[in-house]
Formats: sequence, C-alpha cells, structure tokens
Amino acid sequence: MIEFQNVYKTYNTGSHALEDVNLHIDDGEFAFIVGASGAGKSTFLKLIRREETPTSGEVIVNNYRLSRLKRKEIPYFRRTMGIVFQDFRLINTMTVYDNVAFSMRVIGRPRKEIHRRVHAVLKLLDLQGKSNRYPLELSGGEQQRVGLARALVNKPALIIADEPTGNVDPQMSHDIVEMLSQINEHGTTVLMVTHEHELVNQFNHRVITLEKGHIVSDTGAPVRPATVSLGSAAGEIGGVGE
Amino acid sequence: MMRFHDVQYLVREGCRNTWQNRLMALASVGVLVCCLLLTGFSYLVFVNVDQMFQNAYEQNVMAVYLNSDQTDEDVVRIGEALEEMDNVASVTYLSKEEFLAQYGAALQENTMESFEGENNPLPDTYIVSMKDLALFQQTLDAVSAMPGVEEVSYDADTAATLTKVRQVVMVVGGTIIVVLLAVSLFIIVNTIKLTVYNRRLEIYIMKSVGATDGFIRFPFVVEGMLVGLIAGGVGYGLIALLYRTLVKNFVFENPLLALVPFSQEWMPLLIGFLAGGTLVGICGSVISMGKYLKQEGGYGA
Repeated sequence: MIEFQNVYKTYNTGSHALEDVNLHIDDGEFAFIVGASGAGKSTFLKLIRREETPTSGEVIVNNYRLSRLKRKEIPYFRRTMGIVFQDFRLINTMTVYDNVAFSMRVIGRPRKEIHRRVHAVLKLLDLQGKSNRYPLELSGGEQQRVGLARALVNKPALIIADEPTGNVDPQMSHDIVEMLSQINEHGTTVLMVTHEHELVNQFNHRVITLEKGHIVSDTGAPVRPATVSLGSAAGEIGGVGE
Repeated sequence: MMRFHDVQYLVREGCRNTWQNRLMALASVGVLVCCLLLTGFSYLVFVNVDQMFQNAYEQNVMAVYLNSDQTDEDVVRIGEALEEMDNVASVTYLSKEEFLAQYGAALQENTMESFEGENNPLPDTYIVSMKDLALFQQTLDAVSAMPGVEEVSYDADTAATLTKVRQVVMVVGGTIIVVLLAVSLFIIVNTIKLTVYNRRLEIYIMKSVGATDGFIRFPFVVEGMLVGLIAGGVGYGLIALLYRTLVKNFVFENPLLALVPFSQEWMPLLIGFLAGGTLVGICGSVISMGKYLKQEGGYGA
C-alpha cells in the first residue's frame, strides 16, 4: 500500500518538485505514473523509496510511516520492495546468476534458499540458459529481464519500475509490461513510471498523470480481468503471501 | 546480528573484491608501503639517536667522595646503598690508594711519597653512572644526603645538555612519526576512495535491496585489512633488508656511533608494521565509505 497525504517537496535550490500530492494505491494494484520530464516522477519515486523526505506531508509505504522511520530501519523497509531501473544497473563483473543472487546475499539469506529461488526466478523470466553469462554479453531486453529477476527474487510486496522500457525495443517494452502485469496478478503491487503513453494505452491499468508537481489525472483502479497464469514458477516467486 | 555464514560470505567477498580490483589494491599497497617505510626509518633513526645518547650518558659519571672517618664496613654499606638506587646503572669502588695511584702519577716522586700511607689526603670514592640523566638532580640530591658522603663531584653542564638534546630528539622523532602516519592515512583514504568510487554502483544496489550499513561496510573493511596486512608484510621485509645492509656497510670505529643491530628492533618493527598497516587500511576503508553510506539518493555522485 502506498499513501501520500498532502505531500510537498521543495529542494534546497528552491524548485518545487511536488505540491500537495494526495494519493492512495492499494495492495495488489498496478499503477502507471506518467508525465513529461520535470513533472516530479523521480521525486515521487525517491520519496517512496525513502531516498528523499518530504518537505511537508506524510508518505506511508507498505505500512511504514516514512517520516518516523529511523536511519537503521531504512534497510528493512527497503526489503519490502524491488526496483527495476531504466539503465538496468547490473554489475558487469558478476554473472547473471550472481547479479540476481546478490540481492539475496546482501540481506543474509541462506545459500540453499538463494540457489533454489534464483533458479526459479531465472526460469520464470526465461533466463535459465543465461545464468553463467555476463550482462554485457546479453541484449538490452535480456539485461532488463535480469534486472527484473533481481527485483523479484526477494518476493517483495511492491515492485517499482523506473522507466524500465526506456532502453529496449517496442516489442520488448510490451513484453516487460506483460511480465510485470503477470507478476501483479499474483498479488504484488506494481508501480511503473514511464512517459510512453502508447505503451500505457495497451494495458488496462490505473494511470496517474503528474504535471509540474501536481497529480492532474487519475483513472483509478480498473475492473480486473480474469487471472492469467504465468506457469508453475510464478507460484514459487510470485506474491508476498507465499 | 550477523550469522557465521554471513561473515564467511563477507570475508570471501572482501578477498574476491581485493582480487577483482587488484590494480587499485596494488596502488594502495604501494602507497602504504612507502609511508610505512618512511615511518619505520624515522623510528630507526630515533632509536639510533637515542642509543647514541644512552651511550654518551654512560660516559657521564659522578664521583662520590666519602668522609675520611668511615670504617671498611661503612664503605661497603654505602656501596650497597648506591647500587640499590633506582637510577644507578653501575657503581665502581676506588680506594684512596687506587685513587692516588691513578691520579698521582703526574706528581713528582718525592711529593708522591709524602702522600702515601697515613698521609694520603684523598678520600675513598665511588664512581657512579646513571641510567637516565633526566633524573640527574634527584639522584645527586639523594646521594649527597647519604650519611658518610662528604662531597659529590659531577659535570652538571654536560648532563643538562645531553638531557635537553635527548628530549628534543624524542619530541621531534615522535612528531615526525605521528605526522607520517597521518599523511599515510590521508593518502590511503584517497586511494581507497577511488576504489569505492569505482564500486558505487554495487554500494547503491546493496542499499536498494536493503543491505545494512554494516553488511555493506564489512567487505571493504576486509579489503582494507588485507591491503594493510600485505603492505605491512612487504614493508617489514624491505626495511629489514635495507637496514641490515646499512648496518653491514656502515661500521664506525667510535662505539658511541655504533648502529643498533636489527635483531634488537625486529619485534617492535614487525608488530608496528603489521598493526599500523592494518589499522591504516581499515580506517582508510571506513572513512572512504562514509560518504556513500550516508548518501541516500542516486549513485552517480
């Protein structure tokens, strides 16, 4: 669950990134955040991830009231979400397997569990044959799927995708959103920031439009279609409740 | 609380990172070895100068003249009391007959004869050398106050000068060592900062997925420790080689100027190099990482 209550964010430079933003995204929703450059999308994500704090107002994410979060609690809060970046941000000196396993290792998961879950998530994203390859040996689409695998492997309650289709071709863009939609079908909340209106229009998800720091439109949550099965591996990785 | 397998993983990561970033690690080791060598040589210069002053001290003695009415037992008792004093390094007894024989050689033969036996005007004497000339005045006061002691003869100016010079050498030597260690830390922090900068993406991803500061810092600390240990070992090997060569090639006829043998200083040097290298390596890593652990947004800074 994500909630913004009268949130303002003004940077030290004096620029008003967000003004009086009020928003509620329920658990299990899929929402697109759209807007042009400078609309406040990046600030919006930074506030959700607690990389920034609001100038005023309250942000609540996955039951954490972020204004009351102590510095030492931030890592534990961040474990409730996975993030997918536009520029993939994979470690080029690590194999695909290690890149995905890395996010489990750094939170101290046992080796057996890491092995089992990394293989499952690689299979889910059709990367099982690439586990020993290095990121620079993969196409952009494949690299983004590795990024998605890394975000998914800790079974987060929330996936934040920050322009994940910015560096891939249109077909792969569609496939990535399709994958995110299928992950969402299993109960994971998905928040995807994009400026590709055409792509957004291909899917029946909630669309929140930001402009100059304000929410100018919000379609609200659509009526959900029947569940699409992602296969057995999704059950292994999918929703938070598992 | 970190579990054993976490620690194992982090130590392995630290070693792996050191190997993967071996060029930067090598640069750090090189810088640290140079700094340790400079510090080590400063220490050896200090030890040698100190040793030279110590030798000079031992040449600086006081002559303790006893009252002429002392019995043989009294003379022995005073000698024992002198030997028991804390700051006394050695005590040599010089009977009045030996005194006359030693210093009366310059007298004419008939004059000498007139001073022999009961007519000998010289006192029984103890020649006393001190361990620390900084305590010269206290020792002098204590000896002068002993019953049976008539007078104490000494060269106060030499004692004062030697003490002052030694104090200056200690302060200068200590300051040089502290300054060199601080410079080492500064250089190593900046060298490690480059390593950390190269790996800011890893740090950012670790933070993104919820790694704690301790978990992020640990492999870097292991890396700093490894660099420090290697630099300490290499530095020690080099200084041992260079100093031994120096001792072998510079033999002075004057024993006052003899260089301290390496065998006398190997232990403090080994401990100093390994502990100093490790400490500087660890501190360098921790200080270098500070900025990236505090920084919450982005990784491109």
